[in-house]
Amino acid sequence: MYYIVHMTFGEYIREHREALKAEDRRFSVRQVAQRIGVEPAYLSKIERGDVAPPSEAKIRALADELNEDADMLLAMAGKVSSDLQEIIRKRPQLFADLIRQLKTMPDNSILRIARDVRDGDW
Amino acid sequence: MIELQNNQLTFRFPEVHKNAICQIDFQRTLRIPDDNREYPLPPGLGRFPVEHVDDFADSLPDSWQEHGGVFIPMYQSEALWINFSGDYPCAVKIAAGKINAVSGKTWSNGLSNDPQDYAVIPEQPWLDGFNVSEDFIRQFIAMPLGEGFTAEEQITGKAEHGGLQIIVYPMKHEVYVELCREQAKRPAIDDLDIQFCVCESAVPDMGLAPGGLMRQEIYEDEYGIDAWDRDHGYRCFIHLANSEQYQAITGHRPPHKPPTASDYTSAGLPWFDYYDDGKALPGSDTLSRLTSVAAKIIEKGKGVLPDNDPVQPKIVKIVGKGNLVRDGEF
Repeated sequence: MYYIVHMTFGEYIREHREALKAEDRRFSVRQVAQRIGVEPAYLSKIERGDVAPPSEAKIRALADELNEDADMLLAMAGKVSSDLQEIIRKRPQLFADLIRQLKTMPDNSILRIARDVRDGDW
Repeated sequence: MIELQNNQLTFRFPEVHKNAICQIDFQRTLRIPDDNREYPLPPGLGRFPVEHVDDFADSLPDSWQEHGGVFIPMYQSEALWINFSGDYPCAVKIAAGKINAVSGKTWSNGLSNDPQDYAVIPEQPWLDGFNVSEDFIRQFIAMPLGEGFTAEEQITGKAEHGGLQIIVYPMKHEVYVELCREQAKRPAIDDLDIQFCVCESAVPDMGLAPGGLMRQEIYEDEYGIDAWDRDHGYRCFIHLANSEQYQAITGHRPPHKPPTASDYTSAGLPWFDYYDDGKALPGSDTLSRLTSVAAKIIEKGKGVLPDNDPVQPKIVKIVGKGNLVRDGEF
């Protein structure tokens, strides 16, 4: 289970990329930037917090590259995954109400609700 | 409540007893030859992937959303068996296309003991097909709905439901407590301590049809129908999506087609036989009159069922209550 840590998005990316780089040079700013399709200078600015976090697609690419959870990185960047937005948009009141009610529930209870199989009419 | 984790359905009844849990998964397997010879149990080749209907509601027929439940991908003519795990006694009723796989009657909630229309877990470790006669079943084979092969269509003349339907009732709290007390007095009997452990159609609906003949007993309920807590049942509709449609719906690739019985046997891999001293139920008259897939193909003048050559299983492993492993590797 992932939790939001008290770091900015940029700090978190830098810390994890640097940790990987200590083991493998392929995780330099230049090489990671190249692999996710941005300029190295732009990735440096993201890590320093000089610019806002990148697009959802780039955050997903970074998550994939750094073996991090995309939903967690998106949340750190102040974004909600587009598929979740789509789900909420369809039934906004229901999901807003549900999420507010789940706010203080323990993880195991939330997991149970999330994976309940619904029985319908047959 | 029913949870889906690791492609397994877990039925929990905390309101009855904290141990009241029954787990069900759907095992991929090879199709045994449908030639009226008797075959032993084929292997389990891993679990079918299981998905929530609600996760793909926009891409599925409205009726699936109405039914709720889950769906699994199957190739046309692919077989499956149902694997039960859990040591808390439960009564499990299974239907295909809302035709009871044990009694041949049409679906109803609840349980019946005349004739018995359910299996008892953990005494029944798995179910591979329709109960056609005492000690024999006809293998569950996926066929597209609407072509007349499925048990549902053969019995009702309609292609309405498809899929699999399951309802689980736990043993009553007080009966279980008493049973545990008796078991504690009889330490030699430790049964309860064992951890049981491509269709071309554009419509994804498939149903189960009767295939080859397999030796498998469905055991009589030794506890009696009053042992089951019929106020606390959970049920689930398991839709069968044809594998091509499954990929289009989910974006996930379905598992590869299983090997043929001939390839599997030629590779020197094991088949299985299960022994238990429980009393077997008689077969259902209704189900015994079903026409198997291979016979139906001939009847329809559509040639013959492919990959249906007889095989001679050379290695047949005996499994029992203490060893319920029925895995095959290919």
